[in-house]
Amino acid sequence: MTNMLQSRWWSWGFRSAVMLYFAVLIVLPILGIYGQSLSDGWSALLGNLTEPLAWKAVLLTFKLALIATAVNALIGTLAGWVLIRYRFPGRQLLNSMVDLPFALPTAVVGLMIMLLLGPRSAVGQWADSMGFTILFHEPAIVVAMVFVTFPFVIRAVQPLLEEMDASEEEAAYTMGASKARTFFRVILPSMMPGIVSGSMLAFSRALAEFGAVVLVAGNIPGRTLVASVYIFGQIESDNPAGAAAVSVLLLTFSFVILWLVSYVQARRTGR
Amino acid sequence: MYPDNRQQVKRWRTGRTGWLLGWLTLAVFVAGCGANGNAAAPGGASASASAAGSGGSVTLVIGAYSVAKDALQEILPAFRAEWKAKTGQDVKFQESYEASGTQARAIAGGFEADVAVLSMEGDIDKVKQAGLIRGDWKAGDDGGMVTRSIVVMGTRPGNPLGIREFDDLAKPGVKVLYPNPQTSGGAQWDINAIYGAGLKEAEEREGKKDEAAAKAFLASVHRNVESMDKSGRASMAAFEYGVGDVIVTYENELLARIAQGVKYDVVTPSRTILIENPAAVVDVNADKHGVREAADAFVAYLHGEKAQTIFAEHGFRPVKADVAAKYAADFPQPKELFDIGYLGGWDEVRQKLYSDRGVWYQVLAGQ
Repeated sequence: MTNMLQSRWWSWGFRSAVMLYFAVLIVLPILGIYGQSLSDGWSALLGNLTEPLAWKAVLLTFKLALIATAVNALIGTLAGWVLIRYRFPGRQLLNSMVDLPFALPTAVVGLMIMLLLGPRSAVGQWADSMGFTILFHEPAIVVAMVFVTFPFVIRAVQPLLEEMDASEEEAAYTMGASKARTFFRVILPSMMPGIVSGSMLAFSRALAEFGAVVLVAGNIPGRTLVASVYIFGQIESDNPAGAAAVSVLLLTFSFVILWLVSYVQARRTGR
Repeated sequence: MYPDNRQQVKRWRTGRTGWLLGWLTLAVFVAGCGANGNAAAPGGASASASAAGSGGSVTLVIGAYSVAKDALQEILPAFRAEWKAKTGQDVKFQESYEASGTQARAIAGGFEADVAVLSMEGDIDKVKQAGLIRGDWKAGDDGGMVTRSIVVMGTRPGNPLGIREFDDLAKPGVKVLYPNPQTSGGAQWDINAIYGAGLKEAEEREGKKDEAAAKAFLASVHRNVESMDKSGRASMAAFEYGVGDVIVTYENELLARIAQGVKYDVVTPSRTILIENPAAVVDVNADKHGVREAADAFVAYLHGEKAQTIFAEHGFRPVKADVAAKYAADFPQPKELFDIGYLGGWDEVRQKLYSDRGVWYQVLAGQ
């Protein structure tokens, strides 16, 4: 009996501690942002959102985040595949380097892109001779986004590949399927949930990226200003409601994406 | 997300590690909060305890804008020595350097600085509006200003594009850098300079201050802008990485970089704006910490000859006439220097240029 009580206390205490932690650290600030965006009323919120510079920034962010996500979905899937299916010297090292973009302060990433892709660098000069500029234009923003969201797809695809039953693949070959057919009908479908959920996480992270982008984007409103930097500008110029309005847009969108991710995952694991 | 995690969770559930870890995290978190709360106090507490008796020590918290850092770090020891000789007290400094607007918001939001050294009047006004500065800080020496500078242009060594005036920035193919006045309050000086130069020119041409012409002038320059960085420093970093042909920034910033061996040509346009940077005692904090005497003395010291000389050596134009005379050769005088008063004062500039649908917004939105 005492044992029972103890464990019930335990689980109650543990659960409420976690709930409290979650409420204080995550829910409150987010609700605060929604509250802030409405601090001047609905019409002000609408005004802040229909502001041309604001929606141009949001559209640009969406566009570039989509490109970055597409790149990562492709390269990430390939990289995950290579790291799981092939054995070669340095594989373990590569595998542990995948997560480095998470560990690196994003401002450092920005600085590095500036150094490596700037007009003085070999890449920058090559781009110049081809007639376009990387730094302070859209390509640099995409590169920054790709870099900081690199691990998501790989890390979501790897466990699926590891879990995959080799017999399914063998069965396909036994039944005479070609390599390509096996890949597209057997392997790819089982990787798909990982690609999708990894991509969605990458996309919402790319939407919010600030540290790296602020250094390498030109930040010119209407041209190269992304949403996160727009928000920063609004805060700095004492317009918290304007900042909150765009944040709310991003937050709502990210929430929908993350909810979709957990839905996809729940379906995959059958829970 | 990863199956690894699921296994870990299972392992944790059987052991008590997870449970312990959870509480440990919470405990650390709570302790951290407590420690943070205390951390703000010691400066004040120790200072007020010791300020009563002469001798002992006093702690001044300085909230300054980042550009002033190098100069201030030379001035602080000099003040310490003087104050020690005068009163026998040891002055300790807690220094914080941030972009001016960020610093102003931090002080207004509860960072307990005793002295604020910021890049523009408006930022001190932010602190005043938070009720932290009581009197009229502009009534002090030199109108509350401790340094001056002007807005100039920096080009690649040898000035290959032959940039002379702000007009040249509007020429096709010239790539211009200036920081974003929304994220860097100090950058408003740069925009004011270009806008004001347009206004002056229109005035000479048409005999009146034609604001539409000034706006068009600003827009024509803005079309050539390659990047608007977060701060003046970030713009200079970009320029030094090889981006752009011309950077619009403060004279003192360029002189400081040149002193560090970076190659710039400083182009002083004939029409540009006079920058004035204020410093003020944050009354409420200084009284709370019991350091008013030292704080007042420090701000007075900034206006004194020694500090002014140090400022001048770091590329700032001195406010004191005699020091300015000594360094006159280092600072060419633009033919038609105007100050913020020419644009109607800060209140009007904020209203007309930087308000919600102001001139700057219209330029950005291409209206």
